Amino acid sequence: MPDKAISYEELTPGYKFPPATYELNASFVSKYLKAVDAAGDGFVPPLAITACAIAGMTKSVPLPPGTIAIHASQDLEFLKLVPVGATIECQIGVAQKIARGKMSMLILDLEISDKGKEKVQSGKATIALPA
Amino acid sequence: MLAEIQEGKALNPVVKHITQEKINLYAEASGDSNPIHIDESFAAKTPLGGTIAHGMLSLAYVSEMMTSAFGRGWLSGGKLRAKFKEPARPGDTLTINGKVDCIERKDDVSYANCTYECRNQKGEMIVVGEAIAKLSSAEK
Repeated sequence: MPDKAISYEELTPGYKFPPATYELNASFVSKYLKAVDAAGDGFVPPLAITACAIAGMTKSVPLPPGTIAIHASQDLEFLKLVPVGATIECQIGVAQKIARGKMSMLILDLEISDKGKEKVQSGKATIALPA
Repeated sequence: MLAEIQEGKALNPVVKHITQEKINLYAEASGDSNPIHIDESFAAKTPLGGTIAHGMLSLAYVSEMMTSAFGRGWLSGGKLRAKFKEPARPGDTLTINGKVDCIERKDDVSYANCTYECRNQKGEMIVVGEAIAKLSSAEK
C-alpha cells in the first residue's frame, strides 16, 4: 500500500494511490470489537472497515518527516454489510489540496469494494497538516 | 425500537471512558500506529502535549449509538458526517448524544436525519456531525 515514490508536494487532485486489499478475518474483527468495547453480530462493523482504509491512508500519504497530520473531518456512506472473513479493496484518491494560512488541507476520496467489486462503503476524509 | 423513532426523539446516549490502553488496543486493531496516539514521550514534545485518541475511535462510539437506535438501517444504508473539533485524550470520559431532527421520505424509503455531538467531561466538543439512517417504508 505505501507509495513512497511520490512526495507530498507531488500529490495533486486526481492522483490515485495503488489499491490496498485487506482480509477482515475473525481475529481482526475480534480485536476491533475489544478496542471499541462493542459486541459483534457476524458482520464487520462499518467503522472497522473504515479504520482499515484510514490506517492504509495514513501509511500511503507521504508526509514530511516529523509532521503531525490531524484528521479534521470524515464523511462516510455505508452501502452494504460485510461478513466476517470477507476481503475488501480500498481505493484512495486525492480530491483536493488546499493551503489555508499556516495549514494545508488534504481531502481524500475513499472507495471500498468487496471481492465481487460491489461498493460497500465510500467517503471523504480531510487531513490537516502544517503547510 | 424503530417503531419508536419520531422527529425530536433523543437517541440513547453512549458514555465511554478513554484510556491509553484502549487507544493502544485501537492502534493495534486498526493498524494506525501513528506515534501521536501511542508514543507518550513523542506526543509530549508536540504542540498537542500528549497522546490523543484516534478520531475514528470516537466515531466508533457514535456508530454504537446509531446501531443501537437503527440496527441494520444504520449498518447498511447509513451516512455519517463528522467534524473533529478537539482531540480526545486518555482520562477523558466521552458522552455521545444524538437526536432525530427529521424523518424524510425519498423514493419510497424513509430516512431518519439525526444530529449528534460528542463532548468530554469538561463539556468540550470533541466531535460534531450528522448521521442518516435508513428506516423501512413502514416507519412513517
